[in-house]
Amino acid sequence: MIASDARVGSKARFWRNILTAYGFLLPTLSFKLLFTFWPIAFGIFLAFTQSNIIETKVIGTQNFRELFGTGEFEARGSSPYFFEGMLNSLKYLMCVPVIQFLSIGLAMLVNRQIPAIGLFRTAYYVPVVTSLAVVGFMWKGMYDQHGPLNYILTVFGLMDAKNPTGLLNNSSYALYAVMLMTVWKGLGYYMVLYLAGLQSIDRTLEEASVMDGANRWQVFWNITLPGLRPTLLVCSLLSTISAIKVFEEIYVLTGGSSGTYTVMYFVYAKAFQDFRFGFAAAAGLVVAFVSLIFGLINFRLTRGNQA
Amino acid sequence: MIETRESNAAALETIRVMKRTRERHKLITNIFIYALLTVIALVFIYPFLWTVSTSFETTGGVFEFPPRLIPESPSFRNYIDVFTLVPVARQILNSVLICFIGVSCSVLIATLGAYPLAKMNFPGRDLIFYIILATLVLPNEAGMIVNYVTSANLGLLKSDVGKYVAVIAPALGNVAGLFLMRQAYLSVPLELLEAARMDGASELTIWRKVMLPLTLPTLSAFAILQFVAFWNTFLWPSIVLQGDRNLLPLSAGMLDLSSQFSTNTRATSAGAVIMILPILIVFLFFQRYFMRGLEGAVKG
Repeated sequence: MIASDARVGSKARFWRNILTAYGFLLPTLSFKLLFTFWPIAFGIFLAFTQSNIIETKVIGTQNFRELFGTGEFEARGSSPYFFEGMLNSLKYLMCVPVIQFLSIGLAMLVNRQIPAIGLFRTAYYVPVVTSLAVVGFMWKGMYDQHGPLNYILTVFGLMDAKNPTGLLNNSSYALYAVMLMTVWKGLGYYMVLYLAGLQSIDRTLEEASVMDGANRWQVFWNITLPGLRPTLLVCSLLSTISAIKVFEEIYVLTGGSSGTYTVMYFVYAKAFQDFRFGFAAAAGLVVAFVSLIFGLINFRLTRGNQA
Repeated sequence: MIETRESNAAALETIRVMKRTRERHKLITNIFIYALLTVIALVFIYPFLWTVSTSFETTGGVFEFPPRLIPESPSFRNYIDVFTLVPVARQILNSVLICFIGVSCSVLIATLGAYPLAKMNFPGRDLIFYIILATLVLPNEAGMIVNYVTSANLGLLKSDVGKYVAVIAPALGNVAGLFLMRQAYLSVPLELLEAARMDGASELTIWRKVMLPLTLPTLSAFAILQFVAFWNTFLWPSIVLQGDRNLLPLSAGMLDLSSQFSTNTRATSAGAVIMILPILIVFLFFQRYFMRGLEGAVKG
């Protein structure tokens, strides 16, 4: 194609074409270079340095030795809260199947032509377009000692009405409480994606199998779910990566207290509270590696037998 | 003759009964479905109702058993309070400014960049496409840290204008928008472009006069997605602007408000309502575009 273009037009036209094309791409490429590729490259470099922005000193793998508690850090052990944070981030993966299960259910529920269905879809979607800054405030209210959720718990006799405790202050429940908020905020988003997936499935296929005497469950298992596989792959990948990287939800709701400290909280705190940018970048690199591994696992699991 | 007519009537009657039972069955299913839809909707909407109610309530405790949604003595006092606690008006203006610059720049960048990727032949096109595609999956956990270091090294954190550049710039090269626009451009018939090229139109003219008008729905969808993103983002602005209240956009201001005045839940909820309202209006008006953008961004 390119060669034939060059042959047909003059050489000048060929070069002008290239120049025009790259001219159009220049803004995109420069922003990608500066804010995507440079951060990756410089982040890797930074991980092997000691940096407080003003001065940066290469220190080899010392940051990693400090993180994992090896070498000269053997006696002190691994960096406080790093592994606790990592464990909590991995616990957060529990959200992934819950989100897929509920949002597929929700998508099937709203995938019908009945009056006012658009209104319900909108209602389920509103949390998605609401800033986490606001969502965090609202859910602090929901989880308050005398808040609505505790009221429900007292009604069912699960909480002492005279002396209720806030779930966010209870270190055995706080992380799950934050997860509930994450699920609540994200469901609408995944619902819309699954809805698009459902609507792309050939309806005649479902009708034909009903004609052949298949029951609802069989239709779902043999027609609907395989049809949703591409969407499932995307959605579970998106939610897996964001579960491992969870930070903002924790930040707005608990500030990392009550056993909700995650590994990205560690990265944030090291960089923007302790100003140890090199050490934070090293921790970030470990998180990147872990999320890459889980992304691949997730890909293998959802790809199924289509390989 | 008579017999067949009678049996016909009987058959018709059976059909009628069957139809009626099916309709009744359908009605019951529908009632059940609407009940289920309503209960779920309540779960999603309740925190919002609570926020609005709290923002108008002025007496009694903020939290009570059982919770109450209708304010006893509603007034705008909490709204007046929040305007005196923090510079809300200023922060609204900051948000509008950031959104306006952010959305127009990112739309310009995406609509420009997608054009050669969709409609021009040049060496390196596929390579560039795949490199940009790869940025979607490349883990970039240290991104915010390096962006902060970059902004500091570029001297952006010294002046107010520089800080705003640092707030907006990292979000401008939006890959989802690029793919969304590329997808839309691909559907524009090549004959139109060839005709324009024959007439001696430059590529920039074709882009402006042919491509942009024909892909306006997708462009709007992307613009709305970006508006919501810029309006809502709070972490990066609050890192860059370091708690200077007069510079914060509303989202970061909301975070500041709810942590600094955490005891004043009512004023904070008034702030939350002010924060959500514009997004809700934009979302309800442009919902169709919004959903299209969202689906397209993932498919692309």
